[in-house]
Amino acid sequence: MLKKYGSMIVAAALVAFMIASCKPKKKDDGPVDTGKSPYQSKNDEGTISGVIKFDGTPPDRKRIDMGADANCASAGGEKLTEEVLVTDGKLANVFVYLTGGPVDQFSFQPPSDPVVLDQKGCRYDPHVLGVMIKQTLRILNSDQTAHNVHPTPKNNPEWNESQPPGTAPKEKTFNRAETLIPVKCNQHPWMKANVGVLAHPCFSVSAQDGTYTIKNVPPGNYTLVTWHETMGEQKTQITVGASEKKTQDFTYKSSVAYAPTSLRVEAALILP
Amino acid sequence: MADNVANEQLEKRAETAEPDPIADSSMSRALLITSILLILTLVWSLYDEIFGQRPWKAYQSEFVASYLEHLETLKKAAAKPEERNEKAIRETAEYKKLDAAYREATEKVAPRVKEIGARVSEIDREIGDITDPFQEARAWIASKIYQLETTASESGKESVRSSIEDKRNESITVAFTQKDGSIKKEGVPYKQLEKRYNDLRDEKARLNVELAGLTKESGEMLRKREDYLQNQMSGLTEQAVDNIIKGTNAFEYRIRQINVAGGQVVDRCESCHLGVREPLTLTADKMGDEKAFVSHPSRDLLTIHDPEKFGCSTCHGGNGRGTTSVEKGHGRYKHWLWPLYYKENVQAGCNQCHNADRVTRMADTLNRGKDLYYQKGCVGCHRYEGFDREADALASARQTIKQLELDRATRLREMRETREAAEKVTSNEEARSLLNRADVVLPQLVSQIDGRIGELDLQTKYLMKDQKKIGPNLKEIKAKLRKEWLPVWLRDPQAFRPGTKMPSFRLDDNEIRAISAFLWQSAIDYVRIADQQQGNVERGRDLFKQTGCVACHSIDGNAINQGSQPVGGHFAANLSRVGEKANFNYIVRWIHNPRQRLAPYSPSLRRDLTPDDYKSKNLAFLFDDDHSKSPLDGRELQVQNMTVMPNFRLSEQDARDIASFLMSLKKGEPRYPDASYLDDASLKQEGERLVKAYGCASCHEIRGLEDEGRIGTELTVEGSKPIERLDFALLTEDAMRGKDPITGGERSAWYNHKGFFEYKLRNPGIYDRGKVKSPEERLKMPNIYLEEDEITALTTFLLGSVTTSIPESLRYKPAGAAKQAQDGWWVVRKYNCMGCHNVLIGEDPTLAGVAMYQDADGKEQLPPRLTTEGARVNPDWLLKFLRDPSLAGPQAAEKLAQQIARHDAGAAQPSAVAGLTSQPGANRNGVRQYLRARMPTFDFSPNELQMLVNFFMGASVQPQPYIPERLEPLTGDEQTLARALFTSAAAPCLKCHMTGDPAHDARATAPNFLLAPERLKPAWTRRWLIDPAFISPGTAMPSGLFNRDEMHGRWVFSGPTPPSFQTYDKDHVELLVRYMFQLTADEQRRLGTGGAAPSAPAPGSTTTTSSLDRAIRRPTSRVNGP
Repeated sequence: MLKKYGSMIVAAALVAFMIASCKPKKKDDGPVDTGKSPYQSKNDEGTISGVIKFDGTPPDRKRIDMGADANCASAGGEKLTEEVLVTDGKLANVFVYLTGGPVDQFSFQPPSDPVVLDQKGCRYDPHVLGVMIKQTLRILNSDQTAHNVHPTPKNNPEWNESQPPGTAPKEKTFNRAETLIPVKCNQHPWMKANVGVLAHPCFSVSAQDGTYTIKNVPPGNYTLVTWHETMGEQKTQITVGASEKKTQDFTYKSSVAYAPTSLRVEAALILP
Repeated sequence: MADNVANEQLEKRAETAEPDPIADSSMSRALLITSILLILTLVWSLYDEIFGQRPWKAYQSEFVASYLEHLETLKKAAAKPEERNEKAIRETAEYKKLDAAYREATEKVAPRVKEIGARVSEIDREIGDITDPFQEARAWIASKIYQLETTASESGKESVRSSIEDKRNESITVAFTQKDGSIKKEGVPYKQLEKRYNDLRDEKARLNVELAGLTKESGEMLRKREDYLQNQMSGLTEQAVDNIIKGTNAFEYRIRQINVAGGQVVDRCESCHLGVREPLTLTADKMGDEKAFVSHPSRDLLTIHDPEKFGCSTCHGGNGRGTTSVEKGHGRYKHWLWPLYYKENVQAGCNQCHNADRVTRMADTLNRGKDLYYQKGCVGCHRYEGFDREADALASARQTIKQLELDRATRLREMRETREAAEKVTSNEEARSLLNRADVVLPQLVSQIDGRIGELDLQTKYLMKDQKKIGPNLKEIKAKLRKEWLPVWLRDPQAFRPGTKMPSFRLDDNEIRAISAFLWQSAIDYVRIADQQQGNVERGRDLFKQTGCVACHSIDGNAINQGSQPVGGHFAANLSRVGEKANFNYIVRWIHNPRQRLAPYSPSLRRDLTPDDYKSKNLAFLFDDDHSKSPLDGRELQVQNMTVMPNFRLSEQDARDIASFLMSLKKGEPRYPDASYLDDASLKQEGERLVKAYGCASCHEIRGLEDEGRIGTELTVEGSKPIERLDFALLTEDAMRGKDPITGGERSAWYNHKGFFEYKLRNPGIYDRGKVKSPEERLKMPNIYLEEDEITALTTFLLGSVTTSIPESLRYKPAGAAKQAQDGWWVVRKYNCMGCHNVLIGEDPTLAGVAMYQDADGKEQLPPRLTTEGARVNPDWLLKFLRDPSLAGPQAAEKLAQQIARHDAGAAQPSAVAGLTSQPGANRNGVRQYLRARMPTFDFSPNELQMLVNFFMGASVQPQPYIPERLEPLTGDEQTLARALFTSAAAPCLKCHMTGDPAHDARATAPNFLLAPERLKPAWTRRWLIDPAFISPGTAMPSGLFNRDEMHGRWVFSGPTPPSFQTYDKDHVELLVRYMFQLTADEQRRLGTGGAAPSAPAPGSTTTTSSLDRAIRRPTSRVNGP
């Protein structure tokens, strides 16, 4: 009798232990578990490209006081705010991506090449970037000062790690799609980056001249979304035919005010 | 004679031989029928016995079938070669790396390990060979030694001695096993054998120690590899599933019964609910859609309340013994008093034992119910044990004081009488004894009473401070409100301010007029508030937004650029339309210090004091915490407004700005009907009657009605009131038949406590339906306008408010830390600490839900989490901080006292005009000066301060009293090292932490290190440095500052360290903690961030800096000093 129950208790304890020890590691694995079939290329992918324009007078870029950290102050590069970067009426750092259609119906393998986020002159370079789910994000510190990398996602785990100068690059991945994850350095509050995480490779970031190109778009009907850090999102429907080269421009207007909801610590950061 | 007659008759009958209707008729048919009936009954009873009475048997077979089916699917999944399968994990790079490390570590030491192994087995063999003959000889010698000791004669001893010596020299034959297995016999002298035996054992021990050292690293690697494997596997292995299947196949069909508390509770619930404690998580969809088989939804709960100890029906209700039907088992029939709680009210069960808890972990609904009970003001009319305990304590203290005063008078009389008696007695001895009583004993007794009265008087002061009212003080409405608004508000509070806690009393026009007039006329009119200048609305808007007002108050999102929905907490009023009702001057004063009253109230005289009362004693009209005694009778006064709203230590200008902003909040320019009747004295009497009848004074302070009692029924054990005493009135039929009295539709029967409470809360007047009553007799409970989930929460709370039937031995009686936490929650909830702070793990503060605190910058502005506060801070410091969160110190208070004194002396203002008095520590947070949200001064009484400190210590299970850990003083070298590390470019400390330099602190996002020695506990600080994200997830303090150096068992800084660190082999975390705890203001200035405290000399001006110091000083563009 005792023997029988003893073994049952041991078995139950074992099972309970295994459940307990395994549970926290359970992850939502994005494309792997969604049961989507892998995308099979028919070599008929199209391309979407265009220009993000800016209509009106862009807000003045303000000077950032980096005096708090001598290593930042002495580093080169312009020390201006970079939320709204307009050159000749073209808007940079706009994240452009597709939703709906084939990109949501199939699963895509993340590229093996990492995406690099550098900390250089106490700025994040690039300011806006995209990665695929499970694609490696390699974070470098090219400065002579310590940074900490602190993404504050909503759907992915939050972390905040110190990266002193001369230490190894950090390699991180995000396992759920999220547009976009703000990244900040708490020691240099002006340092901000935004990481878009998608389950597919159809995204792009507008360059200095406002241009963007999304390559390898499987033919189909999509919503094309543009996202800007302070001016928000715009959407449009777009159909890409087989091997079609589509052009789609967007315009952000200076008059459409973004309602600031945050408690931004501006006065402390920026000199007139 | 009689016999003859009888005989005759018998004869006659025999003769006639008529057919006898009884004896001659056939009974066979009746017999047949009855026996068939009997057999049928027997069959039926057997059937009922075997099947009918045992519905659980069917459940059990169904469970086994469903469970096995589920297990089979699990088994298939476990066998499927997926990513997380064991084999696949063994293929991953990480596993291979760990495996390689393990192999490398093993191989490195393998030759020596093998050598040792070989040698050990040799030794073992030899020891094995030697042991028997050696021990035999040793035993023989031991016996001889015993003989030696017991032998009496010297000659006998001598012979024994020689025989021992002989044995010791004798050669002993040992059969040595050779390597090839053959046996070689050898004679070895005992002495040699003994030495060899001991040597071999020593060598073996030595080798084993060496082996342990060698395999330590590989063992560690193996553990890491196995941990990795274990962590990566997400499901059960095939084998584990097989084991469960085996167990299920051997399922025993029987009643599952738990006996608890010596048989007082017998629960057979698990006879059907078989999945409750299964190790696998079972859900209805996995178990063939049978809800009865699911696992208990909270394993954590079962861990604390082990069913073997607590049973099931103790918490859930229901008839634990019942097994004949679902209804019987669940106790949902007429004759069972404790039916199973419905799912949405299941936490009512928790309250049976946790009724003294303000917050019960894992019981959100119940907690919400208690929150609502307080916040919606239920507690105003309905007494409930524990809520508003101050009122009870205050009444009892006052009663005791009266009693003691009587005692004192009695004692004094006795003294007098005893002395008189002493004069009259004849014997000297007797006189001495009486005098002793009169002059020695009694005076001391009186003094004791005096001391007790003094202490109780102080308690009344504290309790008056702690006692709060739900609603605002109506004595001040003449200063606060627009006259015309009052009747508008009374007509429909919800219309003016949706969601307000002020309920709607179903008043008619005449009642509204009378009540308004009474309230208006009984308000204080002899103190006027000083006129205030208008402030800056925009600045006020920013201050309102940032200072933390929205932690308690909600406001139209448009007003503070936070969307169009109401934003903020529901603990206090929604301020969206303040501009339509209030007077600006009053609001300024209120924001500046809400506790400041217009006039003090004297409970002993039962009236508000006037400036004339003070003048009569030649005193200024000054009353506050330090001037709380009545000038008339010396008794404690109510000197504060009975609000929980704290003092934000705002500057006068800030208060004006915020008030100006609030006054700008209007839905439109209000047009109110004429309200001149408010001054009609003839309405006052009727108004007073109504105010008393509706119990307004339960929630509000109203002049003349300070001592009004509660008008509602006490609800402490409402849930166990017999159902017959709940007055369903004319709805009894509806309740029993299942008719919804609100929609008129069909529903399940609701003639139970749950149904009664729910309809009462939905529509408090509902049980008056169909009755003809005079207005005075109608149900008075006002409409509270609750949402459905709020009704569920309150119903749950009320259902759990019972005289519990749970055996005494099972009840929750916390002691020590748990008790401190239990008591403290009442204070934490009372002042809404969780509006700003994360106090309960898993419960986000109200502020975290506001949009502006949700982005990365906003999160940094959230007030700190307090879930480990007790482990973090020194309790003495915490007490000081809670008392004055500005940490401005006694000097500031002193300065203020002087200011007030000057103010009095000047008496520039007529004392009947109430102005603003400045306050200590104005405009700053004591610790986190970088936070926009202000930690306000709550003006806790010493009682509450102690309760709060105990709460935090108790919640973190910290021992009290706290004796700070002594840290080793830093050596000069260590000081230099730590300083170098602190200021190296790789270490971020001084970039974020405040240093006292205003320019730097403007950017800082973390507290000053100078606070650490007094404030923090070293053990916590160590943990914080190593991984702050475990203590405060989302903190700005980065993780990964230190790496574990397993080789030396220490933590080392993870960035490049200054060269001087090469020879330092101690723990870096420990070094920094010691440095922080010994940091002085001078040392902080040496760190080179400039910024001197005003009183200290500028750095560099008086001290010569060492070369090292100069090297580490950062070049700064700023000039130090003024």
